[in-house]
Amino acid sequence: MSMERYILSRVIQIIIIFFIVMSIIFLLFRVIPSDPTSFLLTPSMTAEAKEAIREQFGLNEPIITQYYLYFKNFFHGNFGNSFYGGRSVMNIIKERMLNSIFLVTTAVILSYIIGITVGKAIAWKRGSKTEKFFVGLGLWFYTMFTPWLGILFLWIFAFKLHLFPLGGMITSEVWIANPSLIEKICDLIHHLILPLITYVVLWFGGYMLLMRNSMLETLREDYIITARAKGLKEKDIRDKHAARNALLPIVTAFAISISFSITGAVLIETVFSWPGIGRTIVEATLRQDYPLVQGAFAIITIVVLIANFIADIAYAYLDPRISY
Amino acid sequence: MKKKKWKLIRQIWDLIRGSTFIKLGVSIIIIFGIMAVFSPIWVNRNPEIYDPIIGVDPDVHGSEGPSLKHPLGTDYIGKDLFSQLLRGSQIAFILGIMVSVLSTTIGTIVGLVAGYYGRIVDIILMRLADIILTLPRLPLLIVISGIFGTQSNWIILLILSFTFWPTISRVIRSQTLSLRERPFIESAKVSGVGNRRIILRHLAPNVLPITFYYLTVTVTGAILVEAGLSFLGFGDPSNMSWGMMLKWCFTTGYVFKAPYWMIPPGLCISALAFSFYLIGVGLEEIVNPRLKKR
Amino acid sequence: MDTILEIEELEMSYQTIKGFVSAVDNVSFKIMKGESMGLVGESGCGKTSLGMCIMKLLPENARIMNGKILFDGEDIVPKTEEEMRKIRWKGVSMIFQAAMNALNPVYRVGDQIIEAIQTHDNISKEEAREKVEKLYELVGLSPERMKNYPHEYSGGMRQRAIIAMALACDPKFIIADEPTTALDVIVQDQIIDEIVNLQKKLNMTMMYISHDISVIAETCNKIGVMYAGNIVEYTYTSTLFDNPLHPYTKALMSSFPSIEGPKKELKPVPGEPPNLLNPPEGCRFYPRCSYAEEICKKENPEFVEIEKDHFLACHKVI
Repeated sequence: MSMERYILSRVIQIIIIFFIVMSIIFLLFRVIPSDPTSFLLTPSMTAEAKEAIREQFGLNEPIITQYYLYFKNFFHGNFGNSFYGGRSVMNIIKERMLNSIFLVTTAVILSYIIGITVGKAIAWKRGSKTEKFFVGLGLWFYTMFTPWLGILFLWIFAFKLHLFPLGGMITSEVWIANPSLIEKICDLIHHLILPLITYVVLWFGGYMLLMRNSMLETLREDYIITARAKGLKEKDIRDKHAARNALLPIVTAFAISISFSITGAVLIETVFSWPGIGRTIVEATLRQDYPLVQGAFAIITIVVLIANFIADIAYAYLDPRISY
Repeated sequence: MKKKKWKLIRQIWDLIRGSTFIKLGVSIIIIFGIMAVFSPIWVNRNPEIYDPIIGVDPDVHGSEGPSLKHPLGTDYIGKDLFSQLLRGSQIAFILGIMVSVLSTTIGTIVGLVAGYYGRIVDIILMRLADIILTLPRLPLLIVISGIFGTQSNWIILLILSFTFWPTISRVIRSQTLSLRERPFIESAKVSGVGNRRIILRHLAPNVLPITFYYLTVTVTGAILVEAGLSFLGFGDPSNMSWGMMLKWCFTTGYVFKAPYWMIPPGLCISALAFSFYLIGVGLEEIVNPRLKKR
Repeated sequence: MDTILEIEELEMSYQTIKGFVSAVDNVSFKIMKGESMGLVGESGCGKTSLGMCIMKLLPENARIMNGKILFDGEDIVPKTEEEMRKIRWKGVSMIFQAAMNALNPVYRVGDQIIEAIQTHDNISKEEAREKVEKLYELVGLSPERMKNYPHEYSGGMRQRAIIAMALACDPKFIIADEPTTALDVIVQDQIIDEIVNLQKKLNMTMMYISHDISVIAETCNKIGVMYAGNIVEYTYTSTLFDNPLHPYTKALMSSFPSIEGPKKELKPVPGEPPNLLNPPEGCRFYPRCSYAEEICKKENPEFVEIEKDHFLACHKVI
């Protein structure tokens, strides 16, 4: 099968999964709550407002029509309005999602690079004290309770040493004064560093251990003996022959790690009061702001699906053997 | 025959004893086990003061630091933090192990069935696993517990297991697929052994090492996710888990003022999760000796 | 004639949990320029280990305990990894088994050969590419194929590419380790013919490792018979076939069909090779030898030249 057909078949699969997941969300919000309309209506609304929403989402219609309207509204980007403040859910999500992606992608890329580099190096020096130290360290951070490490960092670096702010993404006093762009960026980075470090410390261990195991498997392959027999330089054997092949399973793991990093995002954003999608879904659920919960969950799922798709394609490019 | 089996068990035991990872992991677990057992003894001396949920020390106002009466201090309304910590270890053990047993059992059975029968059974089960794996775990758990309204540890147990089995079943399935082609399965089939017997007698023992590995690492996952849920405020309010201790510390404004309150629960969660994972890594090295230096 | 390779009293052991296993023990022989030596023996007799010793490509738990490996007059045993790196492929190269994963699956085959050339010769990528094209034609592959990945080759083609790769740096000495083992019979014959042709055309000096004495008879002008880490007999192919002296050689020859001469019944060598963790005292073959006497149990026979260019380790014949 050609690459194009492979991509097409993956796209179709993902679209099917997307519809199934969206249907599950639809059912979750309509079947489980005691009052099936509660996910869109709140007692404090005026009678007219209630009627308008009933109209828009077809709450008086049979469930099949509701299902149709649900998707229709979804594709028009209409998730209704938040119960709190009445803002359009879509606008809130857009803004929060951007904040999350900014933090999470920076963190994932950094921990990926650090994890792979260290993992490669310690696999090459297997059996050494350095290897044991890093394996222990990686395991410890990998299983550490995310919010706790975040709180510890806040306590030490923000509360005790006053090096960083105690949370948030920007200092509003600074931004109200209408500063220059550079000042704005510096303020943002100042807020970003602590959550970012927490992320990286927690995650590099996982990638590092994965890369180490994968390298150790690869180093036993016959082509490594060939590479040595050819008289290649140590560095070339390690980087071009061993690490290149060892990377393949790491790419697959990337798809899984996306889901994992969203879990991390929910916790870290809560600890650092980062206005991202993870914190949004927690707060909205606690307030029973159902339109926002539903919208946020749908968007997170879509992002995970897209990330899975990208990982699949990357794998196909990296491994010429793949039978699409 | 029996003697041979005995020898195999001896060999496995020697390997386990030789693993630093497993020894360290088991030692930590024993410490927490003692804590869990000690919990009722500590509380029953005076439940009115020491009960982790309803007990309050009337002499204490606000959170106070460690003292003889309260070795770890008290929380914001004068509850004993040490009894909360002890109770937390009970919950972590029970929940972690139950989720792990439940999801590993489901995962192993589904993996064996999908891998052995193949075709439509395989497609349906694995697509289902794919869909659950695609759903972001923590947000899903948050949304489900939000919709259920009141949370209880039983619901948390069920929904945690629901999100953990697919990973295991995928690994078991791929193992089953390769086992299915082996001569001993072929010969069992040819000699007319029933499907159920082949799965139970021939396939299941061969995937057991992987099952054991997942049995331990899933405990880690379950402990961390449950703690995360409780920390975010979706825990069982009728009980006091470590995640909830940290949540109260964080939300009542004592987080930076009371390190005696903030440090122990997080440390316990991390250490217990770490210990189960260590055992998993130790098992992995025994099963897959390539990872270890000769 | 110049000596390319001279091995003196080589001993190599693997360290295992249960102790040292000496895989190569007291091995001595010489290979002259232009000669091809076949190394034959049962699996596990140490023939591959001996080949790996010559390239000093040993696993971490292996150690050369004793002896010299003189390559082109220089002992390579004390050489460092960096010094060895320069000798590998340029001095000694290797034809691996195609069935093994000897080619890296994620790189184009042509590039893997170019990589070897560029590591040792200071030439441009274009020149290296031209050289690989010539090598491909030499081994009977279309240069078009250079841009394919290993999994897109058939077994026979992969073996040809591996031969081309071994020739890439014009090495002085080539070790072929069971290059035809996993191929089907017809392809096997083609590859053997190819190797014989190349040998004549390029006047290659080589060592051919195989468990199959008939393959070695076709490709080599000298044969070393290896048993349990020792070389027990070493002489010209014709001499060996006319006048095999060691009981193991005799047994080995009757266990394979002869290519020429009258048909005879095939007999496998009875018994099993010894456990090298505790090799028998005395001659290692005596437990399976039908001529064994009292002295064979006590003393390991020395490896001596009993007639010109015919070396032997056996008490009985002397």
